[in-house]
Amino acid sequence: MALLEVKGICKNFGRTEVLKGIDFSLEKGEVLAIIGSSGSGKTTLLRCLNFLEYADEGTISVNGNILFDGALPEKKNLADIRNKRLHFGLVFQSFNLFPQYNCLDNVTLALKLQKKLSQEEIKERGLRLLDRVGLSDKIENYPCQLSGGQQQRVAIARALALSPDVLCFDEPTSALDPELTGEVLKVIRGLKGQDSTMIVVTHEMEFAKNVADKVIFMADGVIAEMGTPEDVFDRPKNPKTAAFLNKSLESF
Amino acid sequence: MFITVTNSLLEGFWVSFKIFGFTLFFALPLGLLISFGSMSRFKVLRFPTKIFVWIIRGTPLMLQLITIYYGPGLVGKWAASLGVSNFFINWLATWSVMDRFNAVIIAFIINYACYFSEIFRGGIESIPRGQYEAGQVLGMTKTQIFFKVVLLQVLKRIIPPMSNEIITLVKDTSLARTIAVYEIIWSAQEFIKSKGLLWPLFYTAAFYLLFCGLLTILFNYIEKKLDYFKG
Ligand SMILES: Nc1ncnc2c1ncn2[C@@H]1O[C@H](COP(=O)(O)OP(=O)(O)OP(=O)(O)O)[C@@H](O)[C@H]1O
Ligand SMILES: [Mg+2]
Repeated sequence: MALLEVKGICKNFGRTEVLKGIDFSLEKGEVLAIIGSSGSGKTTLLRCLNFLEYADEGTISVNGNILFDGALPEKKNLADIRNKRLHFGLVFQSFNLFPQYNCLDNVTLALKLQKKLSQEEIKERGLRLLDRVGLSDKIENYPCQLSGGQQQRVAIARALALSPDVLCFDEPTSALDPELTGEVLKVIRGLKGQDSTMIVVTHEMEFAKNVADKVIFMADGVIAEMGTPEDVFDRPKNPKTAAFLNKSLESF
Repeated sequence: MFITVTNSLLEGFWVSFKIFGFTLFFALPLGLLISFGSMSRFKVLRFPTKIFVWIIRGTPLMLQLITIYYGPGLVGKWAASLGVSNFFINWLATWSVMDRFNAVIIAFIINYACYFSEIFRGGIESIPRGQYEAGQVLGMTKTQIFFKVVLLQVLKRIIPPMSNEIITLVKDTSLARTIAVYEIIWSAQEFIKSKGLLWPLFYTAAFYLLFCGLLTILFNYIEKKLDYFKG
């Protein structure tokens, strides 16, 4: 059984249809890359998965349990949603670290508020996660004292703190200087194989090609093409995919 | 003579200080509440709150002082003259004028709560949505997000406008004089009447300056304390 199963997700903002029926599934440990031109609905899809937006139709299931069903009227029950959110993590394009907390506290704040673990366990986990993103030496630093790349790595550690089933990245390197994208992509790649299941929206084609197990090309709110990186990048079936790939290669 | 004047002015200043203290103590939390009202998703709450803030900010504090001072009694008498009679109205009618000091405190609290509410609103609305979303995605409740994520950032942002407003409050306390509350300016003017001395009036400036100076130092200190982060 697939870890994540998304069926028929539709989302409108007023009269604009942004998502027009998205279906895909993801096995545990897989990395899915989502590519597509601006405005095709990639961010909206991730936001629906994290319940920052509520899809109008469709279902989202994790491990066979339906977490979200657009057909049900009580889909917006807050306390309920809060628990369901914990199946997903989200790393934002603009990091959104909490500026008043140092790195360690950024990572551990949510755990502390949950009060499920002891202080020592929480701290230990925080330190381990910061080590995993290569920031053991920045534990006490505040976000404003870090480079963009370092901030994004803290944000990744923060998202990992609650051990989500699926970790989503929305263009994690788009706000970074080119020379800083590498360190972040390396961290994301490093998570692969530690049975993290990930969805990465990205414009970094090389990364998508080399790291993803599965690639989705989105256009105008639908999945125009889905397959292995080889399928999508080397043998695109949809002319839109080919056009998009050509254009993104041109820009270099 | 200098000692006598100083003592007398100190007495007046103590009243000014009490107005300042009470106003601050009650107007800050009330202002936060009003700001929530003016940001509410519910129109029935948001709309009246905004109208209220508009009226209070759009009329002089002096007028509000007078209204609070004479208002209840006037309403009571007017209602009684129309033949309305119940416990509340009778009570209002016998209440010719309110206790001066209480009237000042009430008017100041209402007035400053409205100004503070706008500062709070500005501060809260200036926090990027991403901060709330980051909290939501981490499974935090609305309350947790407000207190653990947003509040300190808001505080940092509102310190400059707040310090401005609070320093204005120090000087606004002199308006209490309008309804003959014995604050520092009033006590200085007593010397004009009784002894023909003008200089005590100018001497009051020293008290205001000293107090505002202390407040400035305090606010600078808080600003420094919050300097460790940017946001
Ligand atoms: N809150 C909203 N209200 C109205 N329209 C919205 C809202 N959010 C997104 N949209 C619209 O939905 C469409 C898809 O937006 P989305 O952000 O999902 O695109 P994207 O694929 O992430 O693009 P990009 O690559 O630029 O990030 C856009 O046309 C956008 O204008
Ligand atoms: Mg986007």
